[in-house]
Amino acid sequence: MSLGLILAMAALVFGSRYLFLVRRLPLRLGPRTLRFLSFASPAVLTAIWVPLVWVRDGALDTRLTNPYLLAALVAMGLALGQRHTLVTVLGSLLAFFCLRHWG
Amino acid sequence: MSQSLSDPAPQAHPVHSRWLSAWRGARSMLPLTLAVTPWGILAGALAMDAGLAPWQGQVLSVLVFAGAAQLVAIGMVQSQLGWLPILATTALITARHLLYGMAWRLTLLPLSRPWRLGLGFLLTDELFALHTVDRLKAFDPWFALGAGLSFYLGWNLATLVGVVAGHSLPDLTHWGLDFAVVATFIALVLPGCRSRAVWGCVLSAAGLSVVGALYFPQVGLLVASLGGMAVGYGLSRRADARESRG
Repeated sequence: MSLGLILAMAALVFGSRYLFLVRRLPLRLGPRTLRFLSFASPAVLTAIWVPLVWVRDGALDTRLTNPYLLAALVAMGLALGQRHTLVTVLGSLLAFFCLRHWG
Repeated sequence: MSQSLSDPAPQAHPVHSRWLSAWRGARSMLPLTLAVTPWGILAGALAMDAGLAPWQGQVLSVLVFAGAAQLVAIGMVQSQLGWLPILATTALITARHLLYGMAWRLTLLPLSRPWRLGLGFLLTDELFALHTVDRLKAFDPWFALGAGLSFYLGWNLATLVGVVAGHSLPDLTHWGLDFAVVATFIALVLPGCRSRAVWGCVLSAAGLSVVGALYFPQVGLLVASLGGMAVGYGLSRRADARESRG
């Protein structure tokens, strides 16, 4: 992986983060757009984690012995039961590694 | 750039309260900084596994600072794909940051350019999730800087650990460290599901993302994200209409 490729990737990622923070960009955001954007975080994060759990090597994995699935259920239970991010993350990580080790 | 526009909020801060804000930001981010550690280790270890030089693995985290894009690009380098497919995929994966930038736009425009460049560079999924749109009214740049910088440091330290450990533990990449991503994002999203609109958004994004991952993996993330947002938006408008009818 050449430095050139790394720099090009960095430029793309930074460009996407900074583009709409440019003042001169002729863009007015109305209340409807802002409301639409308020759903960006839950939608994007969900669309990232759900396939990690359900899709393995391009195929659906619905086995009940799938440690990703079981530990994700633990995480969901923890996240709905209490609001501490760290408790949810550490608890479900622990469940995940136990399931992988003994499952 | 006119003087009156630049930097109103940060200059209103006395020095000690700047540090306090930054410290509070770092502390609020700490659960996410810790949670991302396994993922950072994986990013470093995978780079070694793919035959990258240690400095390349680290520079990726220093300059690109985007977990998903880094992991996918490393995999594509390993499969000996060229620049064009790698950059095209990076562009698709990183497109979600456009949505974040747009959501932050009105709040960040009054800040000076160095502030916007700096916070723009640090604008990750996690930093954005810490500043959801309804909390943007009380946006404090120093708080965001502390949160973003501490997360950046954590990500790079974790990468370093992965780069070093990747040499001695070759099967580190098969430990399932990517489950940390699942755990973190569940912890970020589910507590915010307090209305029918957010639930609709999350459930439809979930369904679409599975279909996307199976049948059109390149654009699946983007389509599922926009689809989920559209459903959430539609449901919240309907809820408003019902409310105004009484």
